[in-house]
Amino acid sequence: MNSEPKKSQPPGQVELRVNPIACDAHGLCMELLPELISADPWGYPIVRGGPVPLRLQALARRAVADCPTLALLLTERQ
Amino acid sequence: MTGAGHVSAIVVTSSTPLWYATRATGLVALVLLTVSMMLGLLSSVRFQRPAWPRFVTLGLHRNVTLLALGFTVVHVLTTVLDSFVSIPLPDAFVPFISSYRPIWVGLGAIAFDLMIALVITSLLRTRLGLRSWRLVHWTAYLCWPVAVLHGLGTGTDTPAAWVLALTACCVLAVAMLTLWRLALTWADRPLAAASGVVVVVLILIAGGAWLHAGPLAPGWSHRSGTHSAAARK
Amino acid sequence: MTAHPAAAAWAGQPPAPGDLRLITSDLPLSLAEHIDRYGPPQSADRDPAALITEVERSGLTGRGGGAFPAGRKMRAVADASTRSGRIRARTSSVVVANGSESEPVSSKDEVLLSHAPHLVLDGIALTAAAVGADGAYLCLGAHAPTAARAVAVALAERERAGLNAVPVTVTSTDGYIAGQETALISALNGGPALPTFVPPRPAERGANRRPTLVQNVETLAHIALIARFGAEWFRQVGTVRAPGSALVTVTGSVARPGVREIPLGTPLREVLRRSGLMAGAQAVLTGGYFGTWLPLPAAEQVAVSEDGMRAAGAALGPGVLAVLPDSACGLAETARVLGFLADNSARQCGPCRNGMPALANAMGRIAFGPPSRDAVGWVEQLTGLVAGRGACHLPDGGAALARTALRVFAADLRAHTASGPCHRAGRAPALPLQNGLGR
Repeated sequence: MNSEPKKSQPPGQVELRVNPIACDAHGLCMELLPELISADPWGYPIVRGGPVPLRLQALARRAVADCPTLALLLTERQ
Repeated sequence: MTGAGHVSAIVVTSSTPLWYATRATGLVALVLLTVSMMLGLLSSVRFQRPAWPRFVTLGLHRNVTLLALGFTVVHVLTTVLDSFVSIPLPDAFVPFISSYRPIWVGLGAIAFDLMIALVITSLLRTRLGLRSWRLVHWTAYLCWPVAVLHGLGTGTDTPAAWVLALTACCVLAVAMLTLWRLALTWADRPLAAASGVVVVVLILIAGGAWLHAGPLAPGWSHRSGTHSAAARK
Repeated sequence: MTAHPAAAAWAGQPPAPGDLRLITSDLPLSLAEHIDRYGPPQSADRDPAALITEVERSGLTGRGGGAFPAGRKMRAVADASTRSGRIRARTSSVVVANGSESEPVSSKDEVLLSHAPHLVLDGIALTAAAVGADGAYLCLGAHAPTAARAVAVALAERERAGLNAVPVTVTSTDGYIAGQETALISALNGGPALPTFVPPRPAERGANRRPTLVQNVETLAHIALIARFGAEWFRQVGTVRAPGSALVTVTGSVARPGVREIPLGTPLREVLRRSGLMAGAQAVLTGGYFGTWLPLPAAEQVAVSEDGMRAAGAALGPGVLAVLPDSACGLAETARVLGFLADNSARQCGPCRNGMPALANAMGRIAFGPPSRDAVGWVEQLTGLVAGRGACHLPDGGAALARTALRVFAADLRAHTASGPCHRAGRAPALPLQNGLGR
C-alpha cells in the first residue's frame, strides 16, 4: 500500500457484536467481560458499543472462543 | 505355553518400567477423560453456582482434555516402546491390525483417533463453524465408552478390586450426568430423551454382563488374543 | 380503490411535473398501451452501467420502507458481481423484486402491480442488465390476487414480444416477517422465511449465494422511468433531499381511502385533504405497524418524506398514513398493534422473543388494565431493551411505536394511569390486525 516502512501503528480497533439469532443466553460472555457485557432481564447480553479497550482484548477473544453457540463476534473497524 | 490349566496370568509377570508406565498412564488417562466428559456434560446442562461460573467449567474441560490427551500419548509411546509385546506405532492409530488382543487394542486406537479429532476440531472451532464442530463433538459419546472398554479389555489389571472400583466410579459418574443431560431434553423431545435413557441403561447392563463373562472370567488373556508368541518370554 | 383520472396518452413524452407518473389508468395497462404511454423499453445496446449512474444522480431511495439510496445498492451488487465474475468468469447476480407488502395497512404495491405491471417488469429487466443478473424473482403477497393476475398476463405478453431476456420467477410470500429482505432471500434459498444475521449482506451473498439486489416494486417502477426520462426529469418533483414522487396508502378516518401518488415533501395536511380528511381526527400512524404516531392537527405541516418525517420524530416507511379518529383510543390501538408485532415476530432472538410480548402486555395494561403508576416506566424500560437487539428491525419498530404513542397520547395516558381505561378503549379496533384485511 505505501512505500514507507510502518512504524508502531495504533492497534486495530475491534468491536464486540452479538448474533442475536445464534445467541441462546448461556451467559459465559458476561461472566468473562462484565465490563462490557451485562444481562437483560431475560439473561441475554447487552453489549456496550464502541471499541474494545486494549487491556480487555485478550479477554474478549477468549469470550468469543468460549461462546457455546459462537454468537459473540469480534469485528474489525476500518 | 499351551496345555492344561492356569494360563490366565501368562503375561503379567514382566516388570519392566515401561509396562508399569503403560498401565499407569492408561488408568490416569481414563480418569482424566472421565473428568473431561463430566465437565462437558456439566457444561451442556448449564451447570452454574455463585462460586462456579460457567467459564470455569469450560476452561477446566479444555485443560483436562488436553491433559488426558497428553497422558494418552505417553501411554501409546510406552506401549510402542515396550519390547515385551510387539505393538508397533501404526497399531495405535489403525484399529484392529494389532497382533496382541486385536479387538481391545483396536478400541484403544479408535478412542485415540477420536480424541485427536475432538481436540483438533475444538482448537479450530471458530474457523470451522458451529455445525461441523458439533457434528464431530458428538463422537465424544462414543470415544469415552470405547476407551473404557479398551481399558477393561486390554488392561491386565482389570481383575484387581481397586481397578474395578475406579472404573465403576467413572462409569457411574458419566452415566448419572448423561441421565441429567437427557432429562433436560425431556420437555422438548420426550421420545428422544426416553430412548436415550433406555440406551444408557442397556449399555450399563450389557457392559456389566460382558465384564462378568469376559475379563473377569478365567482364560480372558487367551480368549482376547494374547498369542503364545507374546508368552514367549 | 381510488379512481385515477386517465392521463392523456403521452406517446413516450416524459410526464409533466403535475402528472401522475406511475398509475395513470383504472385498468392495467397492456404491453401496447404501456409502450404507447411511456415509450419503448430501453434497448440492450445502451450501456447498462450508465443506468446505475443515472439512478445515483436521481437520488431515488428505496420505497419499501428502508429508504436506502437505490443507486448505491445497485452499484454494490454490480461491484460484487464483477468481483465474483473475475473469479468465476461469469456474471452471477440476482434481482429480487419485493412486492410482498406484508404490512396489513399498506396496499400500494398491490395497486401498482395491478395497474402498471409493465413498469415493474421493465424495472426488473433494466436493473438485471445493469448489475449483471441472469435471473430475477418477483415476490408477491399471498393476499393479492389481482396483482398476481395482472403480473401473469403481463409476463405472458412480454414472453410473446420477446422481452423476457432475464427469466422472472414469480413467488408468493405469506406472513408479516416474510417480507423482510433477508427473510425473503432465505425463503428463496429453500430455507424458512425468517430473517438472517447480517453479514453477509444480500448485496454480497443472497439468493443462490450470489450478490442479490432486493428492491421494492415501486422503486423498480421509478427506475424504469428514470431509464427513459433521466435523473433531471425525476427530480422535477419532490424536494432536494427527497426527490421524486411516491405512492402512499391513506386509510382510516378519511372519506376517500386508497393509494395516491404524491410528490415527496408534500405537507401531511395536503395529502390528507386530498383523501378527504374527516373532522375529529386525533392522530395519524405513519409507516405502518412498524411505524410511529404523529398528532393531528399539530403535525399537519410535516413534510411527507423520509427526512421530513424523521425531523418530526416519525418514519415514512412504505408510505402508510392511517388516520385515527377521536372515537378511538390511541393507547388501545397501540397495544393491539404491539400484540400483532409480538405474535408475528420470527421469535429467533431472545430480546425480541421475550421483550416484544412483554412490551405488548405492558401497553395492554396501560390501555385496558387498572390504573397503575409504574406501568409507564416499565414500557419505557422495555422500549430501551428491545430496540436494536434483534436481527431485524421489528423490535425497533415496536419500540418507536410505543414511544411515540406515549408522547402523542399523553393526555389519554394521564387519564388511564389515574383512573383506568377510557370508554373508547373498549370499542372495536380501528386498525386491522390480520394480513390482507387492510385493503
